[in-house]
Amino acid sequence: MDIFWGIPSEEHIAWGGMIALYLFLAGIAGGGFLTASLTDLFSKERPTKLIKTGAYIAPVAIIFGLGLLVLDLSKPFFFWKLLININTNSVMSIGTYIISVFVSLAFVYAYLVWAESATTLTGIWAKLVQFSSRFFVLRKPVALLGAIFAICTTTYTGFLLSAITTNTLWSVPFLGLVGVPFLAVLFLVSGVSTGLAATLLGAAKSDGLKIYKKLDIAFIVMEMILLALLYLTVNPIYFNGSMATLFWIGVVGIGLVLPLVLSVYGLYKHSKWVAPVYGMVIVGGLCLRYFIVYSGQLF
Amino acid sequence: MAKQYGMVIQVAKCIGCQACTVACKFQNEVPEGQYRTKSPVFGPIGTYPNVAMYFEKEACQMCQKAPCVNVCPTKASHYDENGLVMIDPDKCVGCKYCLTACPYDARFINAKTGAADKCTFCFEERVSKGLKPACVSTCVGGSLSFGDVNDPNSDVAKILTKSKSEFRKAEFGTHPSIYYIFDGVVR
Ligand code: SF4
Ligand code: SF4
Ligand code: SF4
Repeated sequence: MDIFWGIPSEEHIAWGGMIALYLFLAGIAGGGFLTASLTDLFSKERPTKLIKTGAYIAPVAIIFGLGLLVLDLSKPFFFWKLLININTNSVMSIGTYIISVFVSLAFVYAYLVWAESATTLTGIWAKLVQFSSRFFVLRKPVALLGAIFAICTTTYTGFLLSAITTNTLWSVPFLGLVGVPFLAVLFLVSGVSTGLAATLLGAAKSDGLKIYKKLDIAFIVMEMILLALLYLTVNPIYFNGSMATLFWIGVVGIGLVLPLVLSVYGLYKHSKWVAPVYGMVIVGGLCLRYFIVYSGQLF
Repeated sequence: MAKQYGMVIQVAKCIGCQACTVACKFQNEVPEGQYRTKSPVFGPIGTYPNVAMYFEKEACQMCQKAPCVNVCPTKASHYDENGLVMIDPDKCVGCKYCLTACPYDARFINAKTGAADKCTFCFEERVSKGLKPACVSTCVGGSLSFGDVNDPNSDVAKILTKSKSEFRKAEFGTHPSIYYIFDGVVR
């Protein structure tokens, strides 16, 4: 129902590109942090460049994302009211606190990673690093706690949409399990995959990335299975019109099939394929957020 | 028994004049291009001589299990002492979460206040003073009735005992307070 007796239709899209971009960036931040912190915690070689890249990507991406979120409010200057008025029934209200903790941990972790390797400093910076050196022991605990909150943040982006139980795309459950939203699983996998890809892009020149490249292939395959499941469970109307183009070309073609083919090929032959492959994974992740956010409101 | 405000819409009596649309805008100073209520046309359907069309007044359904209240992060959207869904524009940050949650497209961001806005049953301005909502008072076809459905002597209760009513999108379990009566309507 759009036009009637001269009264124009209203805008039906409440959440647009800014929210899609925010969900995407929160995924990158979570994935980047997980890549860095888990490597830091469990790898024997502890590739410095990779840890650094992931540790720096996380706070930058999440702050940029939160900035977009605040700008998308119709009253951006009153965003602090989100912090003082709490509704424990509201996923957004709970998420505000989860993200706040994650942002803090991401900054502390990035600082510790930076400070511990900053050996050539002089003047006030050197003093600061020297002063904080007593906190370097906290690096692993912060990595561990941060990893937990990174997982929470990334899954939260799915829960935010799935809490809209009146939306049959957003609230679809995972394998029919009550309380396990499909989007929470999908956005976690996609967030880790894009975060890992962004980290690999930044650390492209270092050695010993083979295991990470293999991991990313695994994530791409997982995402393909998840999307196939989604395609089969929800109403086909969500994959219609302009959304069909976005889904098949952006999400599936650029985001999954091409990188999979190229990385299987590139992994064993050319390590120079890193930039295009992981660039595509990232673009695909962004397309996925746009697709879910828009399609859920258009139909 | 506690008061339970409700609106009954006898669809067959609506002539689509949009007097309610206009009265609401006038009463509530709704900004240009925005509406708390509209009465869109459905149809025409069928072929001559069996052609039918009807109008369905649409606004906030005053859900008793309101998704918008559930999701609101600031409790700006809340139930008042009569169980009606209201918005505190001061608490609202304009996150639009409630807009995505409302299955009836009843909400919008008020261009003047920046806060979420929707039908209030004209509670503060009229109902609390013993008047009927603006749209009900002005209704030309006599399609709209308003009152306490728990009071057997009210207009709404009387109509509801006589005719079978329906809720819009009942499958969402929102328990609306707007009752649609389609008696005499070809759908
Ligand atoms: S109709 Fe929409 S805005 Fe009104 S109470 Fe129900 S969910 Fe909330
Ligand atoms: S827009 Fe306002 S009323 Fe709606 S959910 Fe956000 S804070 Fe609550
Ligand atoms: S009850 Fe009041 S606010 Fe609601 S549609 Fe009617 S006139 Fe508008």
